[in-house]
Amino acid sequence: MSKADEEKKSYSSVFLLAVALLLATAIWIVWDDQISRRPWKKYQYEFSEMQIDRAKAEVTAEQKRLDDSSDYQTVVEELREARQGTEGGETGAAISELSSREAAARIVFDDADFDLRLVKSQIEEAWYEFEHAELMHVDTTGPKHHLEELEAKKVATEARVAEAQARLDQILNEKEEIFSVVETLEKQKKEMESGLGRLEQNVEGLVIPVGPFEFPKIPKIQQVVLNEFDRNAYNQPLARVDRCTSCHTGINKDGFEDAEHPFRTHPDRKLYLGTHSVEKFGCTPCHQGQGPAVNSPEQAHGWVKHWLDPMYQGDDVQAGCIGCHDNVRIEGAETIALGEKLFEQVGCVGCHLVDGYGDLPKIGPYLRRVSAKVDADWLVDWVKNPHEFRPRTKMPNFYFDQAEAEAIAGYILASSAKEGEEWLASHPAPGGIDSSDAALVAKGAELADSLGCRGCHGLAPGESPALLGDSKDIAPNLGNIAEKANQRWMYHWLKNPRGYSPEARMPSLRLSDDEAKALVSYLGTLGEPAGSDDAATRDRLLDADNVAEGEALVRKYGCAGCHNIPGMEAESRIGVELSVFGSKPLEELFFGKRTDIPHTWKDWTYNKINEPRIYETDRIEQVMPHFALSEEDIDAILVFLASRQEAKVPEAYKLADRQREQALVDGLRVIEHYNCVGCHVINDQGGAILARYEENPSLGPPILNGEGAKVQSDWFYSFLKQPVPLRPWLKIRMPTFGVSDDEARKIVEYFAALEGIDSPFVHIDQAALSPEYVEAGKLLASVDYFSCYTCHQQGERKPEGPEEGWAPDLAMASERLNPDWIVEWIKDPQALMPGSRMPAFYDFSDDSPDGPDDVLGGNDLEQVKALRDYLLTLGSMPVAAAPVVADPERVEPAAMDQGTDGTASSETSNAAAPETVQVEG
Amino acid sequence: MLNFRMIAQSAALTLGAALVSTAAIAYEGGAVAGGGSIKGTVKFKGEAPAQEVLDVNKDKKVCAVGEKKSNELVVGADGGIRYAVVSLTNISKGKAFPEGESILDQAGCEYLPYIVIVPTGSELVIKNSDGILHNIHTYSDKNKAVNRAQPKFKKKIKESFAEPEMVKVTCDVHGWMKGWLAVVDHPYYVITDEKGAFELTDVPAGEYEIKVWQEKLGESTQKVTVAGGAEAAVTFELAAK
Repeated sequence: MSKADEEKKSYSSVFLLAVALLLATAIWIVWDDQISRRPWKKYQYEFSEMQIDRAKAEVTAEQKRLDDSSDYQTVVEELREARQGTEGGETGAAISELSSREAAARIVFDDADFDLRLVKSQIEEAWYEFEHAELMHVDTTGPKHHLEELEAKKVATEARVAEAQARLDQILNEKEEIFSVVETLEKQKKEMESGLGRLEQNVEGLVIPVGPFEFPKIPKIQQVVLNEFDRNAYNQPLARVDRCTSCHTGINKDGFEDAEHPFRTHPDRKLYLGTHSVEKFGCTPCHQGQGPAVNSPEQAHGWVKHWLDPMYQGDDVQAGCIGCHDNVRIEGAETIALGEKLFEQVGCVGCHLVDGYGDLPKIGPYLRRVSAKVDADWLVDWVKNPHEFRPRTKMPNFYFDQAEAEAIAGYILASSAKEGEEWLASHPAPGGIDSSDAALVAKGAELADSLGCRGCHGLAPGESPALLGDSKDIAPNLGNIAEKANQRWMYHWLKNPRGYSPEARMPSLRLSDDEAKALVSYLGTLGEPAGSDDAATRDRLLDADNVAEGEALVRKYGCAGCHNIPGMEAESRIGVELSVFGSKPLEELFFGKRTDIPHTWKDWTYNKINEPRIYETDRIEQVMPHFALSEEDIDAILVFLASRQEAKVPEAYKLADRQREQALVDGLRVIEHYNCVGCHVINDQGGAILARYEENPSLGPPILNGEGAKVQSDWFYSFLKQPVPLRPWLKIRMPTFGVSDDEARKIVEYFAALEGIDSPFVHIDQAALSPEYVEAGKLLASVDYFSCYTCHQQGERKPEGPEEGWAPDLAMASERLNPDWIVEWIKDPQALMPGSRMPAFYDFSDDSPDGPDDVLGGNDLEQVKALRDYLLTLGSMPVAAAPVVADPERVEPAAMDQGTDGTASSETSNAAAPETVQVEG
Repeated sequence: MLNFRMIAQSAALTLGAALVSTAAIAYEGGAVAGGGSIKGTVKFKGEAPAQEVLDVNKDKKVCAVGEKKSNELVVGADGGIRYAVVSLTNISKGKAFPEGESILDQAGCEYLPYIVIVPTGSELVIKNSDGILHNIHTYSDKNKAVNRAQPKFKKKIKESFAEPEMVKVTCDVHGWMKGWLAVVDHPYYVITDEKGAFELTDVPAGEYEIKVWQEKLGESTQKVTVAGGAEAAVTFELAAK
């Protein structure tokens, strides 16, 4: 091709193509930048339209309501008429006449006012003249006279001004009277329309008006900035930015509960967003995800490869609670609370260290003396698979074979032989236990029923009174205990659990020898005693090689994580530390050869707990045992493990009262360790045993809601250390747990923290109590008024009738009860303890007096305070012999209590004196 | 003609009054013209147990007046059960509530009567004729539980109940005391006498379900047809559970 040809050649088509391509690319770039990568714009437009439509509908509805409201129409009509009235006719004429009179009166007033001001300045001038004359020592008579004249003129002018003012005011008042009707009506109308006005403003706030058109607001990124929430690799504070509300437009607005995602209102907005304002906490501290990402829902939710914190959904969100809340036993955090409880109590902490959970007591029984307790054949079977004997036991299954189980049993028996023998030597076999004696067994069964054993233990296979999650029992089910433990051990254990195991969680029920014998005779009927040759089995198991093999296994499988075993005192936890397990990247999780399990943190962990050896390969051995937990329990543990994050939440985001939080956590651990909630309702939880007392709840263990406000801390502490019977009519017995000083303190502080009490101390100054009130209280308590001692005990003075009809000893009130609580209690017992037998003597829900009108002027509240003051004096009353009352009718009740005591039993009093005296004295 | 006007006016008046006083209640009470009645007995099936003697162990001077027996199951000589509550379950319109107040008295440490019929929303007058401390402790599912003291100086207190229900009343001071409140939303309730007999009068003609309730023996229902001016007969037989 020649050069000329080359120059003549047309490139227009190429250019056209290039231009078209560039144009298309430019359009594509703009489109992509403004629309494809901005999905939130579409959502905001849609939401705006939805909001505008709703707001307009509300305006229309309100308008319709007003149109249909006869009240509103009446006001409108009356206003119209009133306005018309002022414009013509008689009223109109009156108004115009008043107006012209007003104008005239104003002229008179202005004139007088001007004159007054003039006189005042003339007086100033006259003063000057007068003082000047004085200083110049010339004659001052003239100026003085002039001054006096002007003062008189001022007085006269002031009177003129006042008169003109009064006249004007009168005219204005008359005018106002005529207009006031209109004004009142206008005000009424405005009030009625206020709702409409607000709704119209709502609409105005949502749109941008352009001429006759209205446009929705221009979408923009919505974001919450959490200053210094995160830390970078160099531990420098970073802000966290959450842009979730750019799409989740209705998340913090009422009324979008049924809208589609992403517009929907938060499913539990009041609970979660009400206490965690979105402006302060944003979204990702609880939910995780990729806060700043807005290009696609997948990115924003963190559902992309290599993003470490994908968004939590459903109950998994609760993993976020524990970052700020030390105490998660709160509303809305039930799943993580269960997960934490299981993690602490099922035994996970025995092998896996987690920050903050390292110092918990060992979960399993004390094995230092176990050779004195169990049947050897039973022990082998138990080690082999504990779930076989007790399906709901916390002890996991290690999948041992027969030889391994025998080796472990051998080591356990051998290592505990010495301490077991010593214990046996000081705990001889008791006589009088006989499981074939039907009467004795029946007595034992009755005791087991009534003492409260069922607060913790099931006594028949399958009976689970104290649940740990869904699949475990807190205390062993004793339905087949005869197969396991010998009766000698049972007897001494029941009498004093700490005498066998210094770590025992089982309390002493302060049983008499006979009670313990009856109970053991009964327990001996639960299940078949082993009947095998225990001695022969022991001989075989105690073979030195077997024991040595057992020792190695006990070490390898970390038995000492949960049990106190002789020779294993120095063993440490064998499992991986899980303190930041929730942040563990997927690459560090070993899936073995399992390709069928989805590669996510959650799937790995679920399967690990559900089937602990699932990732085992020929090369990699795994030793974690099988806990046989339900799906629900595993899910709860997963939430707890997910909460173990590397990133720590800054202090500013945590609850302010850390001390209270700590008291709640520490106290609850002790309470759960001893399973106090097996019998008592505490903080509205527990008390399953009360189901057995539905017929008469007052025979069951007391409900301890609000106990921190009720009792004095000193008393409570002593009571925990050494319980004394408070309610002699109860068959169920508050056991002696042998809590340590530290444990007792934690329990007391827990109850105080629950009630939000900072300083739990109470001082009662007996001398400061008003004698008048104490006397009045004494009178009120007497038989002529409230007759308190018909039911209440006071020291040795007992009420009539059987014990189950009695009420607590009032002599204990001053050292046991909080004075403020006494007042609240007397005011409304049912409010503090629903179902209580204590009746209400007053009704403070209305103002009408309920108490007697001849005590303290019939003032109910003062009477209640008087009763309190009287009760506070009771413990300190001198005890003397009952006075001989010659004529009881003449004795004033107030005088009669003086120096009386309870030594006279009701029978003697009955015989000696009429009813009044007996109850009084 | 005059007669008709009078009846119509008085009916309208009573109806109006009833509507005002029981605005919240579905039952409509008024004059019943040409109604019939239901008469019958509640009988015990099987061998009648003896009445349990109560242990009066407190405030004996006031309370131990004669031997006290439990009223939980009282069977007469011919097998009639006393203190059973018979009622119609499906009536929404009929006679007005009888005039006068419902009274529960505590006398000799007993509730008199053992079962009191209390219309919903009306005031129950609770008397203390004993002059010693009693308390009124109610057990109910639908109404608010009440536990009020009634000391010596309070001869009379009042209480009302919103929902129809059988409410147990006990006194925690005197463990043996027990009574019942039949809180009712229409007047077709009756308590059987010592022979187990009962009668419901002024029942508008129609078909009804009739129910008996007894605290130990439970409930039982039957169908009954009432014709104007006639007497329908019903017999219940209740066996121990």
